[in-house]
Amino acid sequence: MSAEFELTRNITIGQYLPTGSVIHRLDPRYKVTAFVIMILAIAVCNTYLGNLFALAVCLVMFRLSHIPLHYGISGVKPAVPFIIILAIMQLLFYGEIARGGTIYFQYGFVTISSEVIRLVVVSAMRFVEVIFLSSVLTLSTSTTELTHGMERLLGPLEKVKFPVHAFALIITIAIRFVPTFAMEMEKMMKAQASRGADFGTGEWWRIVKRTKDMFPIIIPLFNVALSRAEDLILAMEARCYTPGAARTRYAHYRATPKDFAAVGICMILAIVMLIIPW
Amino acid sequence: MEKGLTVRKIVIAGVLGAIAILLGVTRLGFIPVPTAAGNATILHIPAIIGGIMEGWGVGLIIGLIFGVSSFLNATVPLFKDPLVAILPRLFIGVVAYFTYVGLRQFNQYAAIGVAGFVGSMTNTILVLVMAVIRGYMPAGVAATVAVTSGIPEAIVSVIVTLAVVVAWKKIGSSGKQKSKISGDFK
Repeated sequence: MSAEFELTRNITIGQYLPTGSVIHRLDPRYKVTAFVIMILAIAVCNTYLGNLFALAVCLVMFRLSHIPLHYGISGVKPAVPFIIILAIMQLLFYGEIARGGTIYFQYGFVTISSEVIRLVVVSAMRFVEVIFLSSVLTLSTSTTELTHGMERLLGPLEKVKFPVHAFALIITIAIRFVPTFAMEMEKMMKAQASRGADFGTGEWWRIVKRTKDMFPIIIPLFNVALSRAEDLILAMEARCYTPGAARTRYAHYRATPKDFAAVGICMILAIVMLIIPW
Repeated sequence: MEKGLTVRKIVIAGVLGAIAILLGVTRLGFIPVPTAAGNATILHIPAIIGGIMEGWGVGLIIGLIFGVSSFLNATVPLFKDPLVAILPRLFIGVVAYFTYVGLRQFNQYAAIGVAGFVGSMTNTILVLVMAVIRGYMPAGVAATVAVTSGIPEAIVSVIVTLAVVVAWKKIGSSGKQKSKISGDFK
């Protein structure tokens, strides 16, 4: 019961594992670029061999970054039932859409062909690969590095009047406030519970009741958040923060050949994933 | 006021983005409706509220934060695809804002409520359309999901949006808490 109120414990956002590996030391700008390339390649790749190759690449990344593999696996574990349900549904209902290939079995509307099986296997593998890749990225890069990296990467967009700095600031504020609001929410849940509200105790099929239970927490949460926002606005304006004004920064990034090499290698890997036949 | 991002817009977008992330991470933002897409969600509500309060730009940014965080936290393969998880979410706040602006001349409260409903429906419909296009679901299953999780989502969205936005508008009129430098109160 008490575990229900401890929201702050489950928040892994900004979890960072400092092992000081090669991947940790990459310039965040190049690291983010490299990961974006890989994720796009995985999203498009739909061959068995290509996905096997991608999976192998992910395992190598874990090795290189000295991050224990169980961090990645713990991300996959809660998803296993969903993957199975999705696979069964695709298998049953997809005969019509994924046409072609050899048909192994047909009964009524159920058509199981080699194309359907490919779809099922590839979407499950794709899912595991994306989880692995994104855990390597977030575990090897601190949130400050990530936002700085993103700000610099989007830099060219300043030319078309896109407010890059403001955007980076928004992300920083969002990440900064997650633990604060988690604490607020804990307080509110305890306060409501002490007045006799019960949440999370309704049976799962009583959807309406469970939904109603949420309102006394969600609505005050928004109000608390907005009044905190007012405080922050006042504080920033009092310090003459001007959006869009030129600013200097504390952290400077300088790209080394290693960073270029990393992006280059990822590009080659992505191309290999896409051209592998079968 | 119209041009660019003010301090107010930046902060509100950040704070509502934080709520979207928090509700997602703690899984409190999910209504356990047993459907093919997992759960119904209320994570899109910050985007709607941001859109109504501070304009379409803020709505778009919160939608982006929601999309990226749902992409990173997803336990369902469907949302591990950036085209399903991120792209449709950009439009939630934008649609909500234009609905609100279009209707507010008739009735403030009705406009907020309708914007909440339409914004929520935007999420449901666009995500499911992308899911069908990308081949995660056949159209029939998607239609069922639209009814079983889309409708409850829309109802919850109307209630929360109304409660929050109306309360927030009151803060301004009592002149107590809102920062006065950024102006714009009604």
